[in-house]
Amino acid sequence: MKRYFRELSVSAALGIVLLGLAVFAPAFFQPQPLLSLVTREAPTLLVACGMALVIICRQIDISVGSQFSVCSVCAGLLAARGWPLALVVPASVGLGALMGAINGGLVAGLRLPSIVVTLATMVTLRQGLNLVRQGEFVNLPDNVQWFGLSQSAGQWTLVLSALAVLVVIGLAMRHWSAGRQVYAVGTNAEAARLAGIPPQRVTFLVFVFLGALTGLAAIMNIVQSPQVQPLSGAGLELKVIAAVVVGGVAIAGGRGNLWGAFAGLLLLACVSPALTHLHIEAYWEKAIQGAIILLAVVADGVRQRRAGP
Amino acid sequence: MSAPANQPGWKAVFLRYEMLLFAVLVAEWLLFYYFGTTTNRRGVVVGFGTMDRQFDILRHSCEIGLLALALTPVIITAGIDLSVGSLLGLCAILFGKLWFDGGLPIPVAAGLTLVIGALAGGLNAGLITGLRLPPLIVTLGTYSLFRGLAEAITHGAITYTDFPASFLFVGQERWLGLPVQAWLFALVAVAVWLLVHRTVFGRSFRAIGFSPEGARYAGLPVERRVALVYVLAGLISALAAIIYTARLGQAKADAGTGYELFAITAVVLGGTSIFGGKGSVTGTLLGVALIAVLKSGLATLPVVIRLNAAEEISGLLTGALLLVALTGSVLPKILSGLRGRRQAG
Amino acid sequence: MKSLRLGVLAALFSAVATVLTAADAKLMIALMPKAKGNAYFLSVKAGAEKAAKELNVELLFDGPTDTNAAKQNEIVENWITLGVDVIAVAAENKEGISTALRKAQKSGTKVITYDADALPDARSFFVNQATPEGIGQGLMDEAARLMNNEGELAIITATLTAANQREWMKHIEARLKSAYPNIKLVAVRPCDDLKDRAQSEATALMSANPNLKLIMAICTPGVPGAAEAVKQAGKTGRVKVIGLGLPNENKRYVHEGVTESVILWNTMDLGYLTIYAGTALAKEQLKPGATSFKAGAMGTFEIKGDNILLGKPFIFNKGNIDQFDF
Repeated sequence: MKRYFRELSVSAALGIVLLGLAVFAPAFFQPQPLLSLVTREAPTLLVACGMALVIICRQIDISVGSQFSVCSVCAGLLAARGWPLALVVPASVGLGALMGAINGGLVAGLRLPSIVVTLATMVTLRQGLNLVRQGEFVNLPDNVQWFGLSQSAGQWTLVLSALAVLVVIGLAMRHWSAGRQVYAVGTNAEAARLAGIPPQRVTFLVFVFLGALTGLAAIMNIVQSPQVQPLSGAGLELKVIAAVVVGGVAIAGGRGNLWGAFAGLLLLACVSPALTHLHIEAYWEKAIQGAIILLAVVADGVRQRRAGP
Repeated sequence: MSAPANQPGWKAVFLRYEMLLFAVLVAEWLLFYYFGTTTNRRGVVVGFGTMDRQFDILRHSCEIGLLALALTPVIITAGIDLSVGSLLGLCAILFGKLWFDGGLPIPVAAGLTLVIGALAGGLNAGLITGLRLPPLIVTLGTYSLFRGLAEAITHGAITYTDFPASFLFVGQERWLGLPVQAWLFALVAVAVWLLVHRTVFGRSFRAIGFSPEGARYAGLPVERRVALVYVLAGLISALAAIIYTARLGQAKADAGTGYELFAITAVVLGGTSIFGGKGSVTGTLLGVALIAVLKSGLATLPVVIRLNAAEEISGLLTGALLLVALTGSVLPKILSGLRGRRQAG
Repeated sequence: MKSLRLGVLAALFSAVATVLTAADAKLMIALMPKAKGNAYFLSVKAGAEKAAKELNVELLFDGPTDTNAAKQNEIVENWITLGVDVIAVAAENKEGISTALRKAQKSGTKVITYDADALPDARSFFVNQATPEGIGQGLMDEAARLMNNEGELAIITATLTAANQREWMKHIEARLKSAYPNIKLVAVRPCDDLKDRAQSEATALMSANPNLKLIMAICTPGVPGAAEAVKQAGKTGRVKVIGLGLPNENKRYVHEGVTESVILWNTMDLGYLTIYAGTALAKEQLKPGATSFKAGAMGTFEIKGDNILLGKPFIFNKGNIDQFDF
């Protein structure tokens, strides 16, 4: 119980928000809009899973938004050229993995700080995309939306796939040695090395994994509407990092899990539609999100203090 | 600990880096001077080489330069402050509000804004030193919170304008030949340089960045010193906000968006280690100059203008420069590590 | 220093060369959007390029990638030093850009504004696609018509700070208050110029306001976003969608009956007219005090004071949207 205090407290906070909505704005829980909301967040959940791993490994990656945009546009362009989805999906995942490998290579290979490396790749990718695309939308062929299925089949496919990925990775982190290695490296890289775990390789792989998940998330995004906007990933990194941190994954590394990240993501994703349903003005949104992040962070600090030096 | 023995070695390497930076700056400047200066259709020499253009570079880089100066001591203590850009926005609108809604005279409003900036920095400081929270995540939260407050207070919509000409003078006119804000910037630059390089405080920043525990055992008041750098960052961000407002003639909630990224880039480019423990204000100034000249110079190249790609190309190059600078800064570590290994065995 | 001297010599040489070839140089007009990636401004550029070709002038097009008043100033400064003949700007911030524009005028460059004005003394003419009043009223009137003058209305805007949108909102709300007492504006939500976000916002709006009759999107990515949301919610026809948008992005939704009308001024015409006006200004064919102006194939335009009026906003709907390609 104590060990999972953070995850439980986030879930409790989420529960309180949902309860409040049930009382004051029951319209929030209509099935169809709720499904649409959750489907919209499915790509973000994938990226959050990858980001949680990276942060547990004591790194950070603020270039995911740009990676997401690049993968979305490339996937869209391939689909528009007539490539079947069966080929577009691995292409996008591969492209994401490649971009992740660049980050990982610089961080693990050259021992550079991840905040600055990913800052550089974020700017480079974003500006490169702007240069090439100049903001123009990509029009998708009709059979791409919802994978060619009906809308509700498509939505359920996306939601269930995202949840499946969450569960698989979450369990893997606990029960597979690969997952435990990430925790080990994040807690103390030197100790991990002495224990036979190669920290540089693990670090490299978490970035590649995050990139691959981002590529997959890009696919999940483009099948939700008939056009792709190149700007579409803007701000994703902040959203995901905030969700993960609120969910109890410590920036200092070595602690946290995906369930917390999931709860954190849902909590922050609720803020905007909650404001709409409660008829509160939109300009409060950023302040509320910032306050939630700070509260989570403070809660972390207080807990640490009580636990002792 | 090999640190003391290597200290002269570190210094020598560092000075070499600043020299390199300066050389790159000069090369860059000359490149743009050559390719970016022409005579336009009206027979006037225009482009990069004109004093006008140089003053513009100066004016535009004052705000980011101030933020970079604010961040230098922070990063030297192995911390980081992502909230400086958002704080600029918040201070800008509070300044406008104090003047417009509050009816306060400009100097009073400006003074109060500086105090507010320091208090906001104090919030960061309190959370980081009081609760021992990682600066990255605290300032990520305040990055959102400050911007959010700016939007909430102005309802996103209100823009403060119509400032008196005497105030706009600060941002748009010249004094003794140089843009006014350049004098303010120079003042702050000298002050920060003195603080970091000539005072006990500055030495303590480096010690704290190198090893907080070691610094604590050595008797340094770590919490107080760290708090100082964040409060100072807040104060300087507030000053940048006032200059920004004077230059543009408006105070809006989205002021300073994205500035923190450029400021961090400038600091890292300048040789200050993101790991903390060493840093140079001169390096930061060189880093700011490098980026400012790059951005401005690229825009004067005819080929770039025809391509309409000034912003993209300068963004790409800045990103690339950052990576090169980072790699370059790690080399000495690797080299001395090799040297150390050779010495040891 | 040898390199410096070489540099200066080279610069002088190229300067002389440029002067010698100056006689053949074409008129140079620099056109600045609020955001150069924005499809709205790309279509302005398309019209401008057409005019530039017809008039044999050189067109420069550059602007910030996201709306940014500070960056606009920087680009104007670049153009002043480049020595362009005419600068045409869509100002993100009225006051902020005016200082730079006045400087341009002082250096002999002619200045006009289009789409969003600067301060009157900083430019010779403002090519006005429609006054903000005209746009706001046009939107509100069309919305009211589709709502049968009663019901609930929601607006999706770009960001809460966007100047153009604030201006239009002012007039929409004023028109609402004065002419349509039975219509209620239930919410204004930003979409940060992101189509996907507009989709989420629209979904939430429909869920929170079951009696919602119409969603008005006053930023171009917002219209297809809102339309997709309505379609996915299965409320096509029950919740109407209108907005300021581009024909190409909305054709499918207009044909499917999701989006009723897409209002815009013909942005290609706006670009075309701006270039013609700028050229005429530079050649002294257009002078302050004129009451009308002829622009190539487009005919004659009315000038009110120092505003060259493009005319009323244009409504794209099922009947005519296929005729346009931008």
